[in-house]
Amino acid sequence: MTKGFNEMISPEYHDEEIPSTILVVDDSRVVRTYLQSHLQKEGYVVSLAKDGKEALSMLSEDIGIVLLDLWMPEMDGMACLRHIRENYPDIPVIMITVSHEISNAVDAMKYGAFDYVTKPFNPNEILALVQQALKTRAQAQRLRRVEAELARARDHEISIATRIQQTLLLGGQPEELKGIKVGDLTIASKRIDGDFYDFFMVQDHCMDLIVGDVMGKGIPAALLGAAAKHHFMSVLYKLTRISGNTSLPRPEEIVLTVHDEMIGDMRELETFFTLCYARFDLYRKILSYVDCGHMRTIHFHSATNKCSLLQGVNMPLGFPGQDDFKEILIPFENGDHFFFYSDGLTEAKDTKDEFFGEERLLEFIQNNAHLEPQELCDITWKKIVDFSQSETFSDDFTCVAVKIDLPETEEKAEKSWKLETVNDLKELSRVRVFIQELCESLGQNAMDEERIKMVQIVATEITTNIIKHAYKGKKDKKILIEAMASDEEIVLYFYDWGIKFDFSTVPQPVFDGSKEDGFGLHIIAHTADYVRYSRDNTGKNCACVTFFLQRRA
Amino acid sequence: MKFNTEDIDGIFIISDLPKILDASNAIEFKTDIAKILENRPKVVIDMSTVAFIDSAGCGAMIATLRMLKGMGGALKIFAVQKQVRSVFELVRMHKIIDILNTREEAVDSF
Repeated sequence: MTKGFNEMISPEYHDEEIPSTILVVDDSRVVRTYLQSHLQKEGYVVSLAKDGKEALSMLSEDIGIVLLDLWMPEMDGMACLRHIRENYPDIPVIMITVSHEISNAVDAMKYGAFDYVTKPFNPNEILALVQQALKTRAQAQRLRRVEAELARARDHEISIATRIQQTLLLGGQPEELKGIKVGDLTIASKRIDGDFYDFFMVQDHCMDLIVGDVMGKGIPAALLGAAAKHHFMSVLYKLTRISGNTSLPRPEEIVLTVHDEMIGDMRELETFFTLCYARFDLYRKILSYVDCGHMRTIHFHSATNKCSLLQGVNMPLGFPGQDDFKEILIPFENGDHFFFYSDGLTEAKDTKDEFFGEERLLEFIQNNAHLEPQELCDITWKKIVDFSQSETFSDDFTCVAVKIDLPETEEKAEKSWKLETVNDLKELSRVRVFIQELCESLGQNAMDEERIKMVQIVATEITTNIIKHAYKGKKDKKILIEAMASDEEIVLYFYDWGIKFDFSTVPQPVFDGSKEDGFGLHIIAHTADYVRYSRDNTGKNCACVTFFLQRRA
Repeated sequence: MKFNTEDIDGIFIISDLPKILDASNAIEFKTDIAKILENRPKVVIDMSTVAFIDSAGCGAMIATLRMLKGMGGALKIFAVQKQVRSVFELVRMHKIIDILNTREEAVDSF
């Protein structure tokens, strides 16, 4: 980096040309001519002024240095010094004073005088000071030139990084996916952050979205962002086409593979990036979400008009020692919004240095979720510009809004079943018979006996949970089980009207033999292919589980 | 709940377990088995009759194991059906209970 900048600095600036005219300002004619003769002897051009006022009229860029008497009748040395500092900051000023005024001369240095000499003076002392002042001025001037060059080089870098960002980092919106609408917006900061995002249409009912933010600024961050995007594309390709898998690779698998491919390089570059990998499955109405230290995605629920925040548990990519990434499944409904964003939004500051913040953003999205995704992105930008009263931020401003906009469709399931039962553990065997019969009716190839038993255990666990927890201590309460099956899968819905299921109160299972309970959820989560839970406004709880059929896998 | 029991040289063998071991009968299983295990620390359970087990059933097995360990004894099981084995593996019970293939192996393993 340093080498690059040096090469861009033109050689002519190495030797600064400093004007060698010296302006001598003193009310005593004797002193003026004395200094003039000594300085001219050394080859300097000398101009003379009898007081501060006259000196000011003679100042120009051609003056290399000023020798200034501290005490004069018309505008004294102090006032003149202040004026020179304000208007000609490069010109060094040497104060001339008498010995009893030394304290004033020291004050003058506080105001920016280069040095002072006391009368009566030794001409050699003056010459040495003049030479030193001119040399210092040359150095300062050169430093300023170099700084200007650096700034130019930085601007150049930013323009390259901006081009990388616009062409390589930001994904084009997906052309067509029925059921999903997308909006996006990026405003590059002065420094380029390496924010990136892209959309992948992985199946006709599935869209993957990656949103990432590389640590650091400028070209290195932009290039790493571009590399990360490329890795995601190639890993997706490898895991699907080349491996010959008919089913899609899981987001957690994709993220882990990209991490493994990039960790070596990232460790060498001492960098990392945060990431959200989001797969929108419109058929199952499930968002599979792998979050690696990115900003928390906002999920607007159309059913309740409320927002919630999605948060994963993974570290950013590039942190060593990660051998798996956890994926979470979030059910969504038609009309729901998901809002992905970079820290440029929440860390925008107002004039009092206060952050815009997650809470304000959440509230804003909630109040504007009726808008189309692109409008939502645009209006969010306006809101944050209003807040910070600036259109330039220190971080990139990136946001992607996704709205679920499913067309009304006919029921996809080919067959459906229903069982109504009550909250009695004795009913568990009836539930299993129901499962057995409906699975068998799907035909011989759909599910083998072992698989049917796995569906039965999930049904047993869910029903037991409803009886023991949702309807705790109550009697004669209704449990409704509905099932739908298509060629690809079987979906079971368990409805109850008991208390809300709260995931946060479920302890982690302990496998060392010290605990006798707490395994139910673990069995459900590791047996069914998809699990989701929701509760509607009427207090109806629904646990929904999906099993893929064998002919699909 | 009725079981078949047999005592071979201080090793207590329980068989004829219910076909299904789920939340509806797990507590009964746990308490009934606890009653007959007093002062019998070495126990073998024949699992061949159990075709279906759930998390509550697993919990009852763990309770039995803990009780025996508390007496300084041990629990061995054998003839585990496929579904039961899958569930045991899901909750990692195969790591804490000795699972053997046959009754002879189970008895000999003490």
